[in-house]
Amino acid sequence: MRDSLLFAHIIAGLALVSFPIIILLYLKKKPKWLKALSFVTAAASWLLLLPSGKLYITFYPATKTLVKAGSWPWTHSIIMETKEHWGLLLPVIATVAAGLVFAGKAKESKKWWILLIILSALIGVMGRIVKIGALK
Amino acid sequence: MAKFNFYLGAAASAWLLAILVIVSELISPFKTFLANVFTHHWIGKAVIVHLAFVVFGFLLQNKKSILNFSDEKAAWYSTIASLIAIFLFFVIEFVK
Repeated sequence: MRDSLLFAHIIAGLALVSFPIIILLYLKKKPKWLKALSFVTAAASWLLLLPSGKLYITFYPATKTLVKAGSWPWTHSIIMETKEHWGLLLPVIATVAAGLVFAGKAKESKKWWILLIILSALIGVMGRIVKIGALK
Repeated sequence: MAKFNFYLGAAASAWLLAILVIVSELISPFKTFLANVFTHHWIGKAVIVHLAFVVFGFLLQNKKSILNFSDEKAAWYSTIASLIAIFLFFVIEFVK
């Protein structure tokens, strides 16, 4: 179960980086599928809460014990604590960006898509840092 | 942006998240309260922040500005400020 959740977590996270990149590339051309992809991206950001929440609440406590007992406790105290809360804003940011596309304000949505890409990628990197912290 | 103000919904949820994070870390009974009500403090924050996004988005649907900021600027700067505040808070908590 843990592996399935992890795969879902990673796939949805990658979608929140790759889909907005595609959206940004076609933002000016406004193809017919732009709204659909924006909707799918926002939906993915909400669905991502399920595997990430389950992983954090059920499986992370064991990792947390390892991290805090190791030589890199800051990877929990700073990185994981920040990551778990930044993640709560991903659906909000994705929904604002998608909402702007649906409202015909594609140009205004640009910086929200960029923020979504940066934040999703950063959260992915932070997850990797925490994983390294558990081995130190 | 009729019917739902995405911008002010986002601004409200961003500020609320930063406040919930800081208050629940500094006042442990509040963190326990969130955990008791929602089974886990993280779930509590998620429910409250996302409900705020929806509720304030609808309640403030006709407002175009707040505190002399356009709704667009309020949302953008609130989101960025919330992200920075959360990170800095945990850095300070760890260092002190």
